[in-house]
Amino acid sequence: MKLWNTVWYWMGRARQDSELAEEIRLHRERLEEQFMAEGMPREEARLAAARQFGNSTAVIEESREQWSFAWLAGASKDLRFAWRLARRQPLLSVAAVLTIAFAVGANTAIFSVIETVLLNPLGLREADRITVARVRIDRLQFRHVQTSAVEFREVQSMTDAFAAAAAMEGRYWTARTGGEPIRLRGQAVTQDFFQVFGERPGMGRFFSSEDRESVVLSHGLWQSEFGGDTSVLGRTLMLDDKPHRIVGVAPAGFRFPANAQAWTPLILEPQRLQRRGYNMSLWVFARLKDGVSLAQATDRVSRHLEALKSSAEGRELSRSGYGIEVDPVAHFVAGDMRRPLWLLLAAALVVLLTGCANVAGLLLTRSAGRRREIAIRISLGAARGQIIRQLLIESLLLAALGGICGLFMAGGAVSLLTRLVVPRREWLALVTLDRELLLYGFGLALLSGLLFGLTPALQLLRESQASAMVRGGRRRFQDVFVTGEVAGAFVLVVMTILLLRSLWAVERIQPGFDTANLATAFFIKPKNDPGFLERLRGELNSGPGIDSAALAFPLPFSGGGLTSGFNIRNRQRQEGEPEWHGEAYLVSPEYFRTLRIPLLRGRSLTAGDNDTAPVVCLIDARLAERFFRGQDPIGQEIAMYKGWARIVGVVGAIRGTTLEEGSRPVVYYSLDQVPFFPQAGIVARSAVPSAGLIRQAVRRANATAPVYDVRSMEDRMAESLGIRRVMTLLLAVFGVISLLLATVGLYGVVAQVAAERTTEIGIRMALGARPGQILTQFGWQGLRAGVIGVGCGLAASAYANRHVEAMLYEVRLFEPATFGPAGLGVLALLIVAIWWPARRASRIDPQSALHYE
Amino acid sequence: METPDLLPGTLDMLILKTLTRGPNHGYGIAQHIHRISNDALRIGEGSLYPSLQRLLRSGWVTAEWGISETNRKARYYRITPAGRKQLAAEVKSFDFLISAIARVMEGA
Repeated sequence: MKLWNTVWYWMGRARQDSELAEEIRLHRERLEEQFMAEGMPREEARLAAARQFGNSTAVIEESREQWSFAWLAGASKDLRFAWRLARRQPLLSVAAVLTIAFAVGANTAIFSVIETVLLNPLGLREADRITVARVRIDRLQFRHVQTSAVEFREVQSMTDAFAAAAAMEGRYWTARTGGEPIRLRGQAVTQDFFQVFGERPGMGRFFSSEDRESVVLSHGLWQSEFGGDTSVLGRTLMLDDKPHRIVGVAPAGFRFPANAQAWTPLILEPQRLQRRGYNMSLWVFARLKDGVSLAQATDRVSRHLEALKSSAEGRELSRSGYGIEVDPVAHFVAGDMRRPLWLLLAAALVVLLTGCANVAGLLLTRSAGRRREIAIRISLGAARGQIIRQLLIESLLLAALGGICGLFMAGGAVSLLTRLVVPRREWLALVTLDRELLLYGFGLALLSGLLFGLTPALQLLRESQASAMVRGGRRRFQDVFVTGEVAGAFVLVVMTILLLRSLWAVERIQPGFDTANLATAFFIKPKNDPGFLERLRGELNSGPGIDSAALAFPLPFSGGGLTSGFNIRNRQRQEGEPEWHGEAYLVSPEYFRTLRIPLLRGRSLTAGDNDTAPVVCLIDARLAERFFRGQDPIGQEIAMYKGWARIVGVVGAIRGTTLEEGSRPVVYYSLDQVPFFPQAGIVARSAVPSAGLIRQAVRRANATAPVYDVRSMEDRMAESLGIRRVMTLLLAVFGVISLLLATVGLYGVVAQVAAERTTEIGIRMALGARPGQILTQFGWQGLRAGVIGVGCGLAASAYANRHVEAMLYEVRLFEPATFGPAGLGVLALLIVAIWWPARRASRIDPQSALHYE
Repeated sequence: METPDLLPGTLDMLILKTLTRGPNHGYGIAQHIHRISNDALRIGEGSLYPSLQRLLRSGWVTAEWGISETNRKARYYRITPAGRKQLAAEVKSFDFLISAIARVMEGA
């Protein structure tokens, strides 16, 4: 009732005001008339009425005030006061706003990434009920790898734990939708795939058991290639020159995996079910049955593995450390980014907290000058609540400004992130700042405003009530702040050094071949063109500007290898010998010359090693050293990719997966002697790496062959370093900022203590104390906070270390090279922060100090 | 004659009581209180209007323009059912207060 009346009043406020004025005017007229009727002359009556009525403007004012929102009016007055105060000390205000802006921006941006991949992975519905089942084989150091069809069928049959299960297998297609052939990425999926994710078709239908040559388009592909045309259903899409019927379109929100443009039915041939480990290329997803927890499902799977052990195959499996692991689907989406992301968020929170501590310190310093003002206001009857409100509004104003700037920063960071193209991190493009995240960021800013505002406010209030005795209490507050800041900064600096040293070590790794001036690309072999490869090789090696070129599959650092077990003729694997396992590379003979991989023994591949000659192969030094120790591998026979092949030579080992990962044993086959993949890579050495040269050569060989993924070899390697570099850079930025904050914080505390005790210093100097003594006294006080902070930081880094371990390369936390620079660096900065104000204190002129107050 | 201060909060009560006799305008309300109290309570117009606004806001009275008995334009206030309820409550607590004060004064 009251509120409604008030709103009604405010809506017609101007009219209400004029009516009130009119009413009062009429009232005064009546009074005048009354006085005149009592016998007063007109002029006197007017004065008498005015006297009785009082100041009618004031009456109107007061009447109007009955309607005001009192607390709102008070708050806006406080806000204006806070704004004036903030502008009076622009440097302090800007420092506070920037600190909060950076901290909030970093937190929000990182949280938006975490939201996209971990909390709400790719916008999947009920993501916490969806699991991924992956294989581990400890002997091969395989963790979280794809499964074969056998595991898929096993998971599918556990209907007591899983409501539905589906498998998917990656696909690349050359698609013709009219014009230029385009390359599509997608997945072949089993029938229940969409059901596992609880999706309904956006249009048409998903797969049924009868579907063979069908395709479901992603919403994005439907929009980009078909212009969102609703008549696409039933039309034919040519994928790899095979007609596929378009049966449905996925809903706009469904993007799984992040890079999928289309889905086709996956038909598992019976032979794939015969042997475990045959063709491990499936990702298996399963939806937990209602009422079944992840732990129970994991339990169900391990009981199954236990049961397997009764067979000979099962015993062999358990010896090799084989297992099936069930994890939330978020782990699949985030992959190895899970821990680094949480680490970054933690680092950003440390920056936020040190920022808050610092701003609180700044405000505390500023409020010291206002102690008198506040004491006066309290003695004049200001309510404590009012004073706290005013102090809080000051800090909330700074926080809100910082929050808004921070959200703009986060917006910029996210739009930068989404433009990054990193293989296997396609989800980066899906990171957005939605309303909830903006609220999160702004809420975070306000929360920090409360945090850094409330402490000085309460402290100030206590001080203004009591004597200067409690000022010691303020220093305790600040000591705790500064100690915390130093600890936080120290942890970040240690982490940064660990990552920097790892990055440095990784960047120095030589992959075993000459990576400079190499251009690389993939192409898809055109159908019905038998002479294509021959012509392409000719074009590449006679092409102008190309020094040397080769075909190969896969290419180093292209993210996919042909991993396989192998056999050696006339030998059995000995107990304790490493697993007979390696990678196959299918290359043209020019490969070693082009990459400058040295031939160590025997001969290289030649043009004579073609489909009519006996199958031969080269092995790399890694395989030779691991499996032919003390023997001559030349002439022995190995079966890996295709039957028995005679080893004719040994070449140097290279690292081809990531720089960090040591080289794997490799067998090289001649492309002419093994069945050719539909796609293959080209690597070409020229004076400068030139993608154009490769494109031209392919076009001359066959104009319809699509060329894709064209990059220099150094780019490919940088990509495998990319996440590491970004992580290190971000952490370094956070570390430096929190270190600066801690330094400024410590400086502030010591400077303030010195300023407060100017008189005391003056007396002591007048009594004969030497500047050195004063310096040591203040120095120790500051240093104590610093040293305790470093100690706490040390303990905290031992904990934080677990979260970066996966990113470390040949460095450890507890070694001098880590702690030396971190400890010395932090302490050196702290000493500067302490020494500066302490020295100023020691140079106080006793004369002027005693006149100070 | 000295005009005694009103007890805080009683002005609202007096206005509401006056309005139970029928709708009235500000001048009329002031006159009525003045007259009924035998000139003892003179309401300053300075506090009458803020008080009326407060009553309007609380929904205890409504106001509309009309023509006064002397053929002038005036704003008439009318008590609402909520206002009557409020008046009853205020009278009750006022009686309680007065009798409490009286007991103290007698006892002294």
